[in-house]
Amino acid sequence: MQLFRYSTSIYGGSDVLIGASWDLLKWFVLAGAVAIAAHAAIKAMTSRRTDRA
Amino acid sequence: MTVTQANASAAGAVPDRDKRHLLVDRVYHWLMAACVLTLLATAFLPIIGYKFEWLGLHWTTGVALSALVLIHIVRAVIWQDFWAMMIDRADLRNGWRHLAQALGRKGTVPGRPGKYNVPQKLYHAGIAVLVLSIVATGLLMLLKIDTPLWRRNPYVLADYQWGWIYVVHGFAAMALITMVMMHIYFALRPDEWRLTRSMFRGWITRREFEEHHDKARWVADDR
Repeated sequence: MQLFRYSTSIYGGSDVLIGASWDLLKWFVLAGAVAIAAHAAIKAMTSRRTDRA
Repeated sequence: MTVTQANASAAGAVPDRDKRHLLVDRVYHWLMAACVLTLLATAFLPIIGYKFEWLGLHWTTGVALSALVLIHIVRAVIWQDFWAMMIDRADLRNGWRHLAQALGRKGTVPGRPGKYNVPQKLYHAGIAVLVLSIVATGLLMLLKIDTPLWRRNPYVLADYQWGWIYVVHGFAAMALITMVMMHIYFALRPDEWRLTRSMFRGWITRREFEEHHDKARWVADDR
């Protein structure tokens, strides 16, 4: 998995950094989905425990 | 007078609502939301395969967002209670008590928050860092495009400097997607509807105020 995007320099030599890798986009979406699912699950469990008490 | 009219009249007579957001702040919130969603759509739809002329809408919306953020900062510092959004000693004390309670220890019951609770303050701090990074780098990136107001001049910075500006803009924009997803999720949760409603109508009920907030830490208006 690449973190950055590079382009080849027109003058030769090393590659030029041009930005963040868009391959990471899905991981940021996944992080949001995981955070939401985790919060929803914890809330559901704690409210069930509170109801029982 | 019918029962409905009597109820309506009684409801009007008793001030049972507390103002949470003024109209100007609600308008700011929804304009910012429209700008952020437009910017995310114009940035990422072409990347995932929906090709269209995105640049014009993207930079003009970016300039609008920059202006909104500037207005918000001035309002927050001069007219709003700036410290209401900052984590204070009472938040830390309550956080510690919540942690002790969660670990099953007995002790003092944690107090209620003021206008904003700690997760809201942390979320605001995160959004502020991301949006300010995006605005700062985005304004610099305007130097790379021709607009009706200025001609492009990409030579003010070296290639590697531009590279890092694009890196910061890109990472902050992708992190903003995560934050927006969570924001929408919390806004849709039934236990947070009072806050969502207050962002449309401005108020929460007196009962909600007393259940969720500490009067000593947030003096709300009766309106």
